[in-house]
Amino acid sequence: MSLFGASIRRKEDPRLLQGNGRYLSDIKLHGMVHAVFVRSPHAHALIRGIDASTAVADPRVVCVLTADDLPAGLPPLPCIDAEETTKPFNQPILAVDKVRFVGEPVALVVVEGDRYIAEDIAGLVEIDYEPLPAVSTAEAAMAPEAPLVHFESNVVDVLEYSVGDAPSALADAPHTLTERFVTQRYAGTPLETRGVIVQWDEPRRGLTMWSSTQVPHSLKATLVGYLGLPENAVRVIAPDVGGAFGVKLQPYPEEIVLGLAAEQVGRPIKWVEDRYEHFLASTHGREQYHDVEVGYDDEGKILAIHDHAVTNTGAYLQRLTLVEPFIGVSMLSGPYVIEHQQLVSTVVMTNTTPLNPFRGVGHVQAAFTMERIIDLVAEAVGIDPGEVRKRNMFSKDVFPLHRGIGNVLAGEIIYDSGDYQECLRRAMAAAEWDDFRGEQENARAEGRYLGIGIGFFVEETGLGPYESGRVRVEPSGQVIVFTGACSSGQGHDTVLAQITADELGVGFDDIVVVHGDTDLVASGVGTYASRSAPIGGTAVRHAAGSIKEQAIQIAAEMLEASPQDLELVDGEVRVKGSPASSVSLAQVAGRVAPGQPLPEGVDNYSLDATDIYHPPTNAFSYGCHVATVEVDVDTGVVTLLRHVVVNDSGTLINPLLVDGQVQGGVALGIGGALLEEIAYSDDGQPQNANFMDYLVPAIGNMPEMVVEHMIVPTPLNADGMKGAGEGGAVGAPAAIANAVADALIPLGAKITETPLGPETVYRAVQDAS
Amino acid sequence: MSDHAVTIRVNGVERSESVPARLTLADFLRERLDLTATHLACEHGVCGACTVLVDGETARACLLLTVQADRSEVTTLEGLTEDDELGPIEQAFWAKHGMQCGFCTPGFVLTIAEMLDDNPNPTREEIIEGLGGNLCRCTGYVKIVEAVEEAVSLRGGGA
Repeated sequence: MSLFGASIRRKEDPRLLQGNGRYLSDIKLHGMVHAVFVRSPHAHALIRGIDASTAVADPRVVCVLTADDLPAGLPPLPCIDAEETTKPFNQPILAVDKVRFVGEPVALVVVEGDRYIAEDIAGLVEIDYEPLPAVSTAEAAMAPEAPLVHFESNVVDVLEYSVGDAPSALADAPHTLTERFVTQRYAGTPLETRGVIVQWDEPRRGLTMWSSTQVPHSLKATLVGYLGLPENAVRVIAPDVGGAFGVKLQPYPEEIVLGLAAEQVGRPIKWVEDRYEHFLASTHGREQYHDVEVGYDDEGKILAIHDHAVTNTGAYLQRLTLVEPFIGVSMLSGPYVIEHQQLVSTVVMTNTTPLNPFRGVGHVQAAFTMERIIDLVAEAVGIDPGEVRKRNMFSKDVFPLHRGIGNVLAGEIIYDSGDYQECLRRAMAAAEWDDFRGEQENARAEGRYLGIGIGFFVEETGLGPYESGRVRVEPSGQVIVFTGACSSGQGHDTVLAQITADELGVGFDDIVVVHGDTDLVASGVGTYASRSAPIGGTAVRHAAGSIKEQAIQIAAEMLEASPQDLELVDGEVRVKGSPASSVSLAQVAGRVAPGQPLPEGVDNYSLDATDIYHPPTNAFSYGCHVATVEVDVDTGVVTLLRHVVVNDSGTLINPLLVDGQVQGGVALGIGGALLEEIAYSDDGQPQNANFMDYLVPAIGNMPEMVVEHMIVPTPLNADGMKGAGEGGAVGAPAAIANAVADALIPLGAKITETPLGPETVYRAVQDAS
Repeated sequence: MSDHAVTIRVNGVERSESVPARLTLADFLRERLDLTATHLACEHGVCGACTVLVDGETARACLLLTVQADRSEVTTLEGLTEDDELGPIEQAFWAKHGMQCGFCTPGFVLTIAEMLDDNPNPTREEIIEGLGGNLCRCTGYVKIVEAVEEAVSLRGGGA
């Protein structure tokens, strides 16, 4: 039986279960010293002076660095620009003259001794701040007299897309609906915070950096640029990464500062973020509201939409900050045919932690907005919400579908494959939609408020530009797979071994997967945007395919047969029709080991192949979530009853692991729907920067979950794989919000924002009555 | 700051060290004894990643000072592995895909170890109640519950 498509247990687990994981903070090096960052306690302030003399006088201090100690002309943190105009809003590596959010790094303190002592001494660095007025919400930041985060205006970019003629279509529509939908600020909050160890390597005239990152190769490229070192002088290693979800996706100032300090300090330096720092200094996501005007007819057909989204991107534009405002509008219409769309996305800066993508970036707000619109239209025209969706959905015959809209980093939006209507039908059936209506009616008669809601989404996955895959067979028979993708818990070792085993017919246990080390993997991109299976997996598939061809070529001489008469089966090259005549892959690898003449026609002293796979474009996964809830109208508490997901990620390598991705995504979506919100005071002070006050879902928050898969392979890669990592987080808030709204229809309560915590729901009920 | 002598039996081995009063048990285990399976994720007792057994009962190693654990017996995840063989709870996590990044897993395994020692055959509600103090950000908990049920049967409990 092929391992491809099998729900097998993971390669990674026994090591982790024996306590042999090696996360960043587990690494200890000889002579290691500890670093702490001194961060701004102010949301907005001038730095009038920094006095580190007391700290520096302590004999245990190795060094204190501020912006003045960094090389002149050091560029700020990179941002991939949507527009040239956004360039001046990038974050300095350490604050220069001014701080713009609580947590912005101002100084690095490196200390001989442990983290306890390093924190003691960091407290001795005196910074003279002159506080300035600050602003924490997009609305306040757009007001005429708002404090300016940078200069001229807090609105730093306005992105516009248009298809059709929305203004005319809205004017002509039989009905229109105007509403604001609000998604709050929340974050990925992996259980492992960020952390960095850097070690200067004098013989190499370079450094090794261990970082809890999703993108070691990208970090290496960043360090090469900032440090002015040649490529061979920088090695980046991502050890075991304890969750990431996008939060570890960009170069951070701490990595660059520590890289700059490495040579001066000369000893290994360790910095591990604590949870409070994580809430301040690791990127947030989501905060975006949509003001929409929708035109529709009596049949529930959506004719036109005008959407103005406003995103609070925080104090600086970081590498991928603009993805949130882009995708939030460009993916708004999801699975629906909406001929006339006018989409405007405004980027607003405030004195808060910068935004950057995390699990489902932009899609979450798009799906929440669109799916609420559909339910409001359904209610207005008196047609079942499932039926209204069906009437507006693309049919399965439209693919490839050019949406006529482009996307930052990702190019034109072309839906590749799918069957949205079937997905909807299956999800509603699995949720027992009609039966639930009966149950709901009975409950209402008893004064209980049950609700059911759909959250359909289409999601851009499998993002390019490329990923690397290399497969090497050793004379022992061991197969080593090298990938530029980088696991933060998804199971790369397992699924890439499954692909390799499938292609070469070798044993799963004979395969070792190597990732997260730029010395061992020559090139790569990393793991984000649900790309590692479709892009990284395809590269490995291609590399293993080349191994197969090479092996047959080499074995031809060994078996005295012509290559076209040979096949690779179960890890052996055989003569077709006479399996007794065979050589193992190990023997084939041994035949091309150095120290002997190569077979004729063979020119490589190894059984080794690399593929760099550039996908032609992105694959669009989709799914339908159906949530059922009970709302306690006296307290506003929402109880989740059941959560159904029917998901299409194309061909599945390991359904068990994909189930895990979907379930984990749903949990994150539940957090966003009901619990999680990073709160700031009006003047930019964080209000809940810890796990006691910022609530992530615990086991008791979880409903019964049903996950089913539709498999419509994408034509974009040989195996038909689409991304699977994020959709769970995308569909859940929309479905849950619709379920809460559905429960409260008899009371006329208006549900237009997340999180739907008790106070929000209670207020909605009170406002309606 | 003066140091204090402590003697703690960790995974069956007696360890005598001199420690500052403010050193947490978690840092003692991780930094002094190199037992790094005890993970720190929130450092204020909320997430459960640093859960260890102190005299057989779960404790948050980030909230406990090392001096408070003097003369006690501490078990960490490393102590559950005998002769390289995974114990039943770990086997169950592997079989049921009860973990992704693995960072929260040691805390879960030790919490479950205590739970099943007290109640070898818990109901699903009891499992959910028992794991209410451990956060996982990857799995959505579904497969953790399945792993506990599998562990019950591997341990010879169950119906």
